[in-house]
Amino acid sequence: MSDTDPTSFGAEQLGNEPVVETPEDLAEALGADPNAPKTIDTENKRLDDGVNRCPKCASTDIQLRPSTGMLVCLFCRHEWSEERVEERIAGNGSLQDLKGTHIASGATAINTEAAGVLTLKCAGCGSEVIVNIDETTSARCHWCRHVLSVNEQVPNGAVPDAVLPFSLTHDQALAAIKQFAGKRKLFAHRKFKQEFAPENVVGVYLPYMIIDSNASADVVGKGEIETRRYTRGTGDNKTTYYDADVYELSRHVDFTVDDLIIESSAERANMDTFVNTNNVINTILPFDTKNAVEWNANYLVGFTSEKRDKDTETVQPLLEHQLLSIARSEVMSSTQRYDRGVRWETERLDVHGTRWVSMYLPVWLYSYYHVEHGKPMVHYIAVNGRTGETMGSVPVSHPRLLFAALTIGTVVESFALAILWASV
Amino acid sequence: MGVGMSALLGSVAEIANLVSSFESSSGDDGGLFWLLAAGPASAVGTYWAIYRYYRNTDKSHNFERETAIESQPITGADNKVDERNGTTDKSIPGDNRANHRSRVKRVP
Repeated sequence: MSDTDPTSFGAEQLGNEPVVETPEDLAEALGADPNAPKTIDTENKRLDDGVNRCPKCASTDIQLRPSTGMLVCLFCRHEWSEERVEERIAGNGSLQDLKGTHIASGATAINTEAAGVLTLKCAGCGSEVIVNIDETTSARCHWCRHVLSVNEQVPNGAVPDAVLPFSLTHDQALAAIKQFAGKRKLFAHRKFKQEFAPENVVGVYLPYMIIDSNASADVVGKGEIETRRYTRGTGDNKTTYYDADVYELSRHVDFTVDDLIIESSAERANMDTFVNTNNVINTILPFDTKNAVEWNANYLVGFTSEKRDKDTETVQPLLEHQLLSIARSEVMSSTQRYDRGVRWETERLDVHGTRWVSMYLPVWLYSYYHVEHGKPMVHYIAVNGRTGETMGSVPVSHPRLLFAALTIGTVVESFALAILWASV
Repeated sequence: MGVGMSALLGSVAEIANLVSSFESSSGDDGGLFWLLAAGPASAVGTYWAIYRYYRNTDKSHNFERETAIESQPITGADNKVDERNGTTDKSIPGDNRANHRSRVKRVP
């Protein structure tokens, strides 16, 4: 270390005290809790709350052009994109070195007391415009027509760390939905077929937590290997018996998970298929989250969005469930020799480090409200706004389904009776 | 429509297999009268297969396979603790090896 190195001064002065080499060491030396979550600042400093202009012509009429995934100025047609956030958040470090909890500034705890409205001062004419940030992140000045946008990470969950822009156009989504529903016409509910209007598909940015993890897991259980198989009895009373060796087995796995995607809206995270069809939106995951860019409210112009209402603390149990599921999946290949199966009895998870980023992900959503036997349900057909993966729920006509089932059942039963008749 | 019909034909094929398995096991399990269950079973199977194809209630994100995961070599131990002789069970009771999402007792 050189004489001018600021850390060498601390080391010499403190004698045998630990060397202060990183900001975390410094915080610890100053008495801060080393286990406290660390915050990664992701705010887009280039933008302000209010007027944000085209870098070429200074117009404020800006929106996303899905076919290129870039922002386009509607006045001069200049196209540009915000910076990718991956490099800024993850850096060059390996996930195996990830220790402690790191929370990006857009994913920090939601303050339920935070104001639902924000007053923006228009830089074009000086008037004040009130924006309902529970509903939208941009508004047009009613005096001079400039577009004003919210870019500060207000602690109500409306402004995430990053956004993954749509790259699938409305027409492509429309075609995917038509194809999906077209394959499911025969047994679809009559009203659904009559009222099917796929042109009503809307682009929605849904809120998710993108989580990197460094973890270890242990599982312990019993496994059986068949040693002998034999049959006893004669004629109709034959029975097969098995002999097996019983083993107690344990497995340990250290693993890292990059960009696990979990819903951060409580409504979307509720996947009870008896009351909703949110599971179909979950099925179109994953997204190419590495291509997410810094927040700019203009990416949302022309689309709708849902606000995040879950914190890292409320998502943590689901994260741990998914990490344990991943661990069980990873160790499966090491149990092939147990040809009679394995019964895992206990499991253990150590999460060494996590990194949380809140992100808006693009989904084309067609929704159909259907009431059956007095029970209302919204059926979704969802299209991944990046990959085009499509999944949906189509309400069925139960009388038609019953007719088909009874027809098949009758045919099969006729064959069965014919075989029985012939064998008697 | 095409895929709907193929789902239907698929379930018919499953039923045919079911019938043939009943037929082949008739020697073991006491006659062909099991065949009487084939009609109701195929009706229920058809209903469920088509319902699932339309409603997709069983679908979810396959995060175990569709996420970037890097594992270090798996370590562990295998110790023979017992023998089970003369059982009629075809597999270990409570086999949950492939059911990754069913949680078992969590230890600290």
